[in-house]
Amino acid sequence: MPASTPSNDPGPAPPPRTSLWLGLVSVSALVAAQTHAILTSPPDADMGHLQKIMYVHVPAAWMTFISFFVVLVFSVRYLWRRRENDDLLAASAAEVGATFNGLTLMLGMIWGRPAWGVWWAWDARLTSTLVLFLIFVGYLALRAFVDDTDQRARWSAAVGVIGAINVPIVYMSVTWWRTLHQPPSSPATLDAAYTLGLRLNAIALLLVLIYFIRKRYEIARLERATEHAAEAVAMGGS
Amino acid sequence: MIASNQTFIIAAYAVTWVVILAYLVRLVRKGGRARAEYERAVQHQREERQS
Amino acid sequence: MAWREDWRRVRAIARKDLTTELRGKAGFNAVVSLGVTILVLLGLALGPDAEALRNAAVGAVWLATLFSAVLAFNRSFQVELESGALESLLQYPGPRWTIYAGKLLGNLIFVTLMVVIVVAVGVVLFGVRIPDTWPTLIGILALGIAGLVVLGTFYASMASRSRAREVLLPLLLFPMLVPLLLAAATASKALLGADLMHEASAWIRLLVAYDLVFLIATFLVFEHVIEA
Repeated sequence: MPASTPSNDPGPAPPPRTSLWLGLVSVSALVAAQTHAILTSPPDADMGHLQKIMYVHVPAAWMTFISFFVVLVFSVRYLWRRRENDDLLAASAAEVGATFNGLTLMLGMIWGRPAWGVWWAWDARLTSTLVLFLIFVGYLALRAFVDDTDQRARWSAAVGVIGAINVPIVYMSVTWWRTLHQPPSSPATLDAAYTLGLRLNAIALLLVLIYFIRKRYEIARLERATEHAAEAVAMGGS
Repeated sequence: MIASNQTFIIAAYAVTWVVILAYLVRLVRKGGRARAEYERAVQHQREERQS
Repeated sequence: MAWREDWRRVRAIARKDLTTELRGKAGFNAVVSLGVTILVLLGLALGPDAEALRNAAVGAVWLATLFSAVLAFNRSFQVELESGALESLLQYPGPRWTIYAGKLLGNLIFVTLMVVIVVAVGVVLFGVRIPDTWPTLIGILALGIAGLVVLGTFYASMASRSRAREVLLPLLLFPMLVPLLLAAATASKALLGADLMHEASAWIRLLVAYDLVFLIATFLVFEHVIEA
């Protein structure tokens, strides 16, 4: 519960504005990176041009992990400092991360169908990405079903921390599980010919990620500030 | 074999852009609404203080 | 001296949990019956070929255990919810971790007893052939139960107080149990198949690490969660 503010207090800092320019710049960068990669990358020995899907699939996976990391960091910070903004940032990163996670899964399947002949083959990476998606979804569901803002923040942070600890463990165990049974696998590290294209696409998508998280955070801050203002009025003049 | 892969390559990029643009539009719209709500609430609060 | 006090509190909470109306004989019977019912349904769905059932045995027993355990975990916090006892519990002097430890102990005993019965029924229904390595199998089961109880208690302390506890607890808990399920099931299957022992031991080590990591992590975080 926020402490009551004296009437000469200007109030909490207004929510930050996220410039649409950052959004437009990052999207343009992505277009440029993808065009460059598609036009300049040679066909792979085994996969032919199918390899080009990696330029969207791999960066999407990386953004998923980065988002998860942000959720972890700000969940820990919230538990430590109990600053509402940290909770809002963690939640924003979770929503954006879940989106990139869903995208990663769809792209993995689109790659898998022509490469393996099936839409799903319990491959180590796809399977762990699916489990991570469920962890994200659980986090967001918890927030949806808890109404008290203080409890929601504390519980989300706890779930975020415990969930994030599990990420490497899930990855490791699913990989072990699969190596015993010789399945088809996603391409691991790419040939040197593809690294530049991959890096450019990753950087561009990172810009998109940053824009998304900042924008989502702005919305969360605005909504929370609106609630605070309404509370202040309801409590009989601020 | 390589020709039919083209469909999947196009599908991959199409899905990527649909997701990114859809989420972008959702954020911008939600942002506009949230900003408007906020301005209204702050204005209301200011009026309450003065009265 | 403080340790003895704390330990007494832990035992008291566990004892209260295990004996209250909802968790007493009737509650236990209900949860075990659910586990057995699930086994029966799985047997019907996956059988009747004896070989197929034998291969499915480990998975079936674990699934029946998971779904029944979820019921048990939610109920372990339900008592407090209905009588408002959680607030009074929090007001008692003494460290918060004893509440968590008490809940863990209560759930551990409850779930272990339940699993003993579910496994026995599963062995019979699915025609499992007991190998010489059965002590190790019991060890794997114990490690699996430990991890299940730690994470189940942790998530239930939140889910049971939310608006949608029936769906929220499995939704939060099950993805977290993936490494545990993989390790326990794969190692058990390996031992049942008279396998390369080295495969099972790697998974057992993973189970131990997993249990320790989450026991410590949830203990550290629990105080933030238990506040009313």
